[in-house]
Amino acid sequence: MIKLENFTFTYPEEKDSALSDLSFEVPTGQFWGLIGPNGAGKSTLCYALSGMIPHYFRGTLSGEISVAGIDVPRSSLGEMTGQVGLVFQNPFNQISGSRFTIRGEVALGLENLGVPRSEIEERVHETLEHAGLAELGERSPFALSGGQQQRLAIASILVMRPRVLILDEPTSQLDPVGTHEVFTLLDELVGQENTTILIAEHKLERLADFADNILVLNHGRIAANGAPSSVLTDPLIEAIGVQPTRYTQAARAAKERNLIEMDKELPVTLSDARGYFRETAV
Amino acid sequence: MSTPTLYISRDSSLHRAHPLSKLALIGLAIVAGATLPDPLWILAVYALFLIPLALAGGVLRNFLRSSLLLIWPFALSLFLIQGFFAPGQQILLQIGPLTLKLEGLLLAADYTARILVWLSAVVLLMLITRPDHLMLALTQRGLPDQIGYIILTALQIIPRFQMRAETILDSQRARGLETEGNLLQRLRALIPLAAPLILSSILELDERAIALEARGFTHAGKRTSLAQLHDTSSQVALRWFLLIVILALIAGRIAGWSLP
Repeated sequence: MIKLENFTFTYPEEKDSALSDLSFEVPTGQFWGLIGPNGAGKSTLCYALSGMIPHYFRGTLSGEISVAGIDVPRSSLGEMTGQVGLVFQNPFNQISGSRFTIRGEVALGLENLGVPRSEIEERVHETLEHAGLAELGERSPFALSGGQQQRLAIASILVMRPRVLILDEPTSQLDPVGTHEVFTLLDELVGQENTTILIAEHKLERLADFADNILVLNHGRIAANGAPSSVLTDPLIEAIGVQPTRYTQAARAAKERNLIEMDKELPVTLSDARGYFRETAV
Repeated sequence: MSTPTLYISRDSSLHRAHPLSKLALIGLAIVAGATLPDPLWILAVYALFLIPLALAGGVLRNFLRSSLLLIWPFALSLFLIQGFFAPGQQILLQIGPLTLKLEGLLLAADYTARILVWLSAVVLLMLITRPDHLMLALTQRGLPDQIGYIILTALQIIPRFQMRAETILDSQRARGLETEGNLLQRLRALIPLAAPLILSSILELDERAIALEARGFTHAGKRTSLAQLHDTSSQVALRWFLLIVILALIAGRIAGWSLP
């Protein structure tokens, strides 16, 4: 569903490439996490996958990049709209400001695409139900909490039924409740709609719970790529400035202080940690 | 901030009217404010046309409060400046070198009445019309979608700016900046507010543009709309009638009419 081959991108007037020689493939219906220190190229990769690079942000690129079967550099943003959705950090900036109800806001993308009114109504209703916003349909988009606003931003993209959803740190401005709301919605999407999701995220505990695979970027290159249980316990991620999950840190600290006996795989989630400490405690 | 506009939802026939009908009613008031020759006639537009409309829309209290709040700075400055500095013969009061003249006060009354009608008419339109419905009506009549979008977002920019300004002020207060006190202190506090307010707004432009792109904003082809506007033949007739009155007022003005 997402395929990159030796993809390299450099912003204008920059000497170093923001993304260098990236090759990976995300199968349909998978939930991938994208992590890395600040400046690693996570947002740039999100822009490239959603077509904003090279159609909105110019620069030089080489290699191949295709998303939802669309050759990104050789097609237009219009061709990608509706197939690939992009959600980013600040939910406030994603509200169009031109619609005065949540229903109207969610409908905007479909209106722009010229979808018939009866179909818009049906899809908006369905999407609001899915995003848990159905009760709030007639309220102002500005009257929502941060978590609700981000769910609205996601709903506004989901209503266009994208096959691929790219999210650039969508929970960075949300509290734990808002973060949980967003991840639960994304998890349902993968399960029910077979949507392919790639999410850049700093909250590794959440990724460990939900992601099928973790891609680690550092200085625009792939530093690691694999299952959460192996990538998130790899000492490499700490070496490049990414804090492992608190469960991994706790287990590692216990191990260093000889509080545990076995040389077992370090935990990345809460349930892993429960089992780990139960089995290994001295 | 629950609703970033002045619109007040009511179940009135005025609220249910087609946005273009409301625009025509308000347009009539604005044109009357510009063309009628006598301030008393203009005040009559306010008292006998705008106030009954506000009453019919169930928004009279908000209408009166908003129009009085808006008009007093204009009235104050106009009466002071025109009263003392407009040329005239009939001196009412002399304070040192300054003379208050009747002609100046009458001129100020004329300007104030016109501004009152213009501002109040616009306020009334905003109180009884959902801006998105108004823009939908206009884009359906040929206004470019992009222009409609700019107008709609401009309507919401003030509350957005207020929210952002409050956040910046809070963070600066936390660092010890004095934002309370007399007028001078408050004005001083505005200086460190301006730069971050403008810069942060500019910085978020890219994100806003990308968010719109992702939702097909620049997609070519015909657009549709979730909202449906109800129009009737009697409303169309009303609009034609109002248009004729508006044109008659303009023609009367051009002809240089004089009313009693």
